[in-house]
Amino acid sequence: MKLFNYTVLALVIGFSSCNNDDEIPEMMTTAIQFENTLNGKDLVLNSSTFTLPSGEAFTPKKFKYYISNVALINSKTGIEYLEPDSYHLINSETNIGIDLGMIPSSNYDQIRFSIGVDAEANAKTDQTGDLDPNSDMAWSWNSGYKFVLLEGEFVHAQTKERTGLVLHIGRNQNYKTITQPISGIQAGKPAIITLTTKVDELFLNPNALKVSELPSTTIMGGELADRIGENYAEGFVSIK
Amino acid sequence: MSRFLILLGSVILFSCVESLEQERESSSPTLILPEISRTLRVTDFPQPERNPLTEEGVILGKKLFFDPKLSANGKVSCATCHQPEIAFTDGEALGDFGVSGNPLKRHSPPLFNLAWNTTGLFWDGGANDLESLNFGPLTHKDEMAADLDDIVAYLSQDKDYPQLFEAAFGKIPIQSAYISRAISQYSRTLISQDSKYDQWKKEEVDLTSIELQGYSIYLNNCASCHQEGLFTDLSFHNNGLDLDYPNPPELEGLYQGRYRISYNPKDMGAYKTPSLRNIMITAPYMHDGRFQTIEEVLNHYESGIQVNASLAPSLQNGIKLSTEDRQALISFLNTLTDEKFISKHAIQN
Repeated sequence: MKLFNYTVLALVIGFSSCNNDDEIPEMMTTAIQFENTLNGKDLVLNSSTFTLPSGEAFTPKKFKYYISNVALINSKTGIEYLEPDSYHLINSETNIGIDLGMIPSSNYDQIRFSIGVDAEANAKTDQTGDLDPNSDMAWSWNSGYKFVLLEGEFVHAQTKERTGLVLHIGRNQNYKTITQPISGIQAGKPAIITLTTKVDELFLNPNALKVSELPSTTIMGGELADRIGENYAEGFVSIK
Repeated sequence: MSRFLILLGSVILFSCVESLEQERESSSPTLILPEISRTLRVTDFPQPERNPLTEEGVILGKKLFFDPKLSANGKVSCATCHQPEIAFTDGEALGDFGVSGNPLKRHSPPLFNLAWNTTGLFWDGGANDLESLNFGPLTHKDEMAADLDDIVAYLSQDKDYPQLFEAAFGKIPIQSAYISRAISQYSRTLISQDSKYDQWKKEEVDLTSIELQGYSIYLNNCASCHQEGLFTDLSFHNNGLDLDYPNPPELEGLYQGRYRISYNPKDMGAYKTPSLRNIMITAPYMHDGRFQTIEEVLNHYESGIQVNASLAPSLQNGIKLSTEDRQALISFLNTLTDEKFISKHAIQN
């Protein structure tokens, strides 16, 4: 047993010393996965087991958002990998990951991404890939994309009735860029970065929203939408 | 020796490049630019870099424009509400020709001189360009109610469309973006610039004395917003139609006019100035078609204006015209009807 341990140790040392020289592969496979959560649990659509931060029972029906312009940064060397044509629709039903494929090897220690799509991509909707307007995320009466979409039903605190909640948040002022430290990524080794998306955060910091007290629970623009934009700028998507 | 080799090499390289270019030329679509009358008073033909007008694109776009199979029930095409014989409008205040049969909430606007509508399309200017606009009528449940994936499937399996798409856009899978681009190209070729007014400006015909009198009434009373040339300033104004603007959340600010796009209080109840070209064949009038006749429109400007916070300053006192002046103005407006445009784009068959 002891012998075995030493063998493993010797192998590891041998292996890493090789790596430390010049045998780090030039490219490494990298992927990002998202865990969509509410109340600290995995988000499940059409399940009635959730509550909103303001206390109302809530059944989520649709939850989708754009993550764009993803970059990995090595803050020590200044190396930055920026994914080209980087627009990803994260859909809680079908697509909960971003495959960056083979990227230049580096000890990346930061990730930068944006919620929504940048002003240039948001100015037109005749686009392909994840920006194809077939996804229900393009506005046709006001050219541009919904950045974050949440639809569901909650039990109203006063009327006790099931009430629709529709959040379609877009517009350029709600394009938010986030930089987070990441750890454990080693040049040349396959990397999986896990991000957690907390639906709760749409209703929390800095603008606490009590849905039962809102003048309208259909929010598709205007001041209230911008306040939700402020909320998702921090804490909504973060490193697990 | 080595020089000779380099020379030889570059000759070979050159001939390769040339043949590649020839190949590309023979298969790439033919760029076209429409002829523009100086009477439109424009300096160029604006179009997005990503979607320049080509012969092949326009042919495809025209076929798509008139194809009811794009709609959910196979019965509604773009041309259902944009009929060529009435300058691509539908003659109804709020048409109910869509898949659901529900009346629309906006009047179907005529379609012409769209390339110059660079301040936004739709009555409130919400669409940045035609390429983005088209997905509205294609997918709205009260219009063509299409599922974009269904359209792509239909077109991909059709016997003619795949070839037409390849000719227009090259060897790529049919996608919603290209459907919209082709329709946009066709729409940009709808140019109305051959009315009696245009012929008069080009000194090819004379206006009658009553038409001339109407022209000066137009210049004095209407031309600040309906600017000569395109006969619109392409801007947005509140022309005193309403005093308040209901805002049911599910309609996303529909009755607020331009405000729903700009969130600028000055734009509350403001809509884009429509062109006066073809005005006499494109009744009813206003964004909701509330006025059936041009007389009703003139009555509104004379005595119907609702003074409100965002009213266009030039309309504070209304526009008062004598009966005689009205008749003259209407005579002039008739010179803006473009029969050549109508017959050029009439459905042939």
